[in-house]
Amino acid sequence: MPLMSASGSFTRYKIVGDVPDAVLREPVDILKHHAFQDIDATADERSFGWVSFEDMLDNRFASAPPQKAHYLLFALRLDTRRISPAVFKKHLRVALDAERQAGKEDGRNFVTKDRKTELAEQVKLRLMARSLPIPAVFDVVWNVDTHDVYLNSTNSKVQELFEDLFTLTFELHLERMTPSFLAARILGEARTKELEDIEPSPFAAGA
Amino acid sequence: MDVNTAALKDAILGQDFLTWLWFRSEKNGWLFRMADGGEVNVYLEQKVSVRGGEGDNVETAVVSGPNAAFAEAREGLKAGKRVDRALLRLEQDGNTWMVQLKADDLSLNALRTPKIETRAAEGEDPDGPILEKLFLVEKGMGFVEELYGQFLAARLGPDWRAELRAFADWLGEKA
Repeated sequence: MPLMSASGSFTRYKIVGDVPDAVLREPVDILKHHAFQDIDATADERSFGWVSFEDMLDNRFASAPPQKAHYLLFALRLDTRRISPAVFKKHLRVALDAERQAGKEDGRNFVTKDRKTELAEQVKLRLMARSLPIPAVFDVVWNVDTHDVYLNSTNSKVQELFEDLFTLTFELHLERMTPSFLAARILGEARTKELEDIEPSPFAAGA
Repeated sequence: MDVNTAALKDAILGQDFLTWLWFRSEKNGWLFRMADGGEVNVYLEQKVSVRGGEGDNVETAVVSGPNAAFAEAREGLKAGKRVDRALLRLEQDGNTWMVQLKADDLSLNALRTPKIETRAAEGEDPDGPILEKLFLVEKGMGFVEELYGQFLAARLGPDWRAELRAFADWLGEKA
């Protein structure tokens, strides 16, 4: 529950359009379709999906329901395997040295470009399988009274991942409350034109 | 509004807002009246960043200090720069929120709410602390939204030119 930390960064969204009642009645069934899948036993580079707000190991939402008062609470979990560039460089060297050695014995003293690419791929896969995925969890808060949605992150890659997965899961579109969209919300559609025509104010010149 | 137009206007609106907020909070004696009749104190704290220029010629100056008057940042404003990041302290009824706002997207970075008891006492709703935290997070966001609404009313209202003249006077006073 990163949300409970003393300080946290948030991206604000509004859901565009109507939210079907079914989504609010049975959110667990819908979340489960895109629940997080563990990749500890594979060599996959990354995996992401929904988990319980209370427990990042719970992708069945068994420990607690997402409904709390007028909120839906769940979390986006993202596991990523990373290989340190220094480790990769070393193991690629070892593989290339072995290849050159074998080539010499056959009377060849070079490694082709294609073969190098192939070796790099093999090394990467081998190291991936040996490294453990690093888990990260980002809380999601959905106020079902206002249909405001908050993501507990301001990282642009996490924002994009979240927006895509949210739309895929709920078939609902999110509008990020950047200055333009927030202003359009506050002022109403009728005044959008005024926002489109806005230019930077000459503060120093005093009008 | 389409996404491309919105992206073009985001920085303009965000920078105008934060620049105005700095001036307006000082002019108001750091006090803003909210729509529900409550009052909120708004202070720019410790760190402010100003930006000017376009494209490859963008220049940014970050000024920080515990009790900063931000003299260097004011110089930046005089040279035509506008605020692009600010750390705000918001106070209401003895409670304090801190939040860092970036002009380009108005995302709420490092939002610090008033402290809460993170564990529910015996006999209390176990969800109590979470709900209290959410209440405080939304309250902090609500303050920012309302300040932004007040800015928009001024920015798009008939008196914006007068507001800009007052701004220039304020900037001159601090020379």
